[in-house]
Amino acid sequence: MSDTPILSIGAEGLDVAQLVANLQATVERKARDGVYADARVARAEKTNLIHLRGTDDFITFYLASLREAVFVDIADFEIRERRRVFGRLLVAFKTLIWKLLKFYTYRLWSQQNQVNGLIITALEGMEEQNAARVAALEKRIAELEKAGHGRA
Amino acid sequence: MAAPDRLAFVCPRLAGSGAVGGAETLLKNLATHAAARGVAVDFLTTCAQSHFTWENTLPPGVERMGGMDVHFFPVDERNPGQFLQIQQQIDRGRPVSVEEELLWLKNGVNSTALMQHLAQHAASYRAILLGPYLFGLTWFAALAHPERALLVPCLHDEPFAKLACMRRLFAETAGCLFNTQAERELAGELFQYPDARARIVGMGLDAFTADPTAFAKRRKINAPYVLYSGRREPLKGTPLLCDYLHAFRQRTGRDVKLVLTGSGDIDAPAELWPHIFDAGFVSEDEKHEAMAGAVAFVHPSVNESFGIVLLEAFLAGTPGLVHARSRVLVSQCRAANAGLWFRHYPDFETQLTYLLDHPAERAQLGRNGRDYVTREYAWPVIEDKFFAALDALLPR
Repeated sequence: MSDTPILSIGAEGLDVAQLVANLQATVERKARDGVYADARVARAEKTNLIHLRGTDDFITFYLASLREAVFVDIADFEIRERRRVFGRLLVAFKTLIWKLLKFYTYRLWSQQNQVNGLIITALEGMEEQNAARVAALEKRIAELEKAGHGRA
Repeated sequence: MAAPDRLAFVCPRLAGSGAVGGAETLLKNLATHAAARGVAVDFLTTCAQSHFTWENTLPPGVERMGGMDVHFFPVDERNPGQFLQIQQQIDRGRPVSVEEELLWLKNGVNSTALMQHLAQHAASYRAILLGPYLFGLTWFAALAHPERALLVPCLHDEPFAKLACMRRLFAETAGCLFNTQAERELAGELFQYPDARARIVGMGLDAFTADPTAFAKRRKINAPYVLYSGRREPLKGTPLLCDYLHAFRQRTGRDVKLVLTGSGDIDAPAELWPHIFDAGFVSEDEKHEAMAGAVAFVHPSVNESFGIVLLEAFLAGTPGLVHARSRVLVSQCRAANAGLWFRHYPDFETQLTYLLDHPAERAQLGRNGRDYVTREYAWPVIEDKFFAALDALLPR
């Protein structure tokens, strides 16, 4: 895999296939360094999952992102309003509602967080077990093939 | 080359007059340019403008437009509930019977009046060009006159293309005018479509010049922006674009705006809304200015057969950033040497960062794109390909 830094790619003789390959190599290097193990990446991929399912490293990549995204954020957040008319009034009203209700939602979200945590742990365990099983099978097939060639 | 005899184009909607769609635009432009070369052209369409309701909103009759006779026919009564029920099954990859496929086609969009016109006049047409492939009107009209029917299928790799009825449509009609080599290859994979009945034509684009600063000045955009033009809907990938740009802004801390032109609802995270400029329907000139000023034209759709707006962005000197699963858009980027393709968010972040940080390379990509479209998609080139395809597929 090329570790060519992307800054060295010049305009002279620019080839998009090579450029994309170099940028993908950069992405893979950064992924190994954990740069994309980020809840925001997991959330951004929600409509792209159907396109990612067939790729080899999808499960590893997505589980790493999901691990960061698994817990429901129950912290306060900025309340916005797109409507111009009564916008400020609506923001104040929604803020008040949030303050009144957040105590009651905590119990719900904390239970949800526990479930989410258990699920991601189970998924990671399954992935590790499957990966180990596939590796063992591949090793066994290679040994059998080697033994078969030896006999022939 | 001697001018061919009368041609008929069949398309469920007429582009313009409130209807937006790449396939509709393509068929209308091919028809207009055939007419401009002195060929008598009848453009047969319906009175509908919306591809959701298929309501008859235009008056029936004949109008002279762009050198051709445009015939508007009313859409038949339909059962939208039955149509949607079967469509959902197909969309989810569930098996449907041949009878259900026919019901789906019948309850899509059809016009008995248009079919009657064709029954009376088919013999006077040298060819009947129909598209896109997945509408009932196209299917019934093509199979009523298969010996003269040339599909302009605008084929996508989607569940509808895998129906038995579509296999029949492609097998029994006289030929296909594909938009790109990638689309032609897809037909090969899906239908084992023979070379003898396939030609690649596409659509021409007129070169233009646009001021790259004009759009941002007029709309008071004081930061770099990426652009998407067209229908905003999940099938076109616009929610993905919004999610990606939102994550990009959060993770990189860079102020990059999103400009959208076209129609449809925008499904975006609330925090991104202050950074979205929804221009809606704009004039062609303003769209070209928006394209010329963008860091990149992002096309997140995986279902494209041509990518008209991507080619327009190339003409505007702007590189493309397209989804790697769209074989057509990737092939356009490769052929033009003018765009990058992303598999997932990490690719998108890296590629957009690259384009932002490398203006010289970005400009080179833009020049490559402009040269490519000017060379390959000038109208005289496309017109020659079109008439050569007619001569090859329906020799006189």
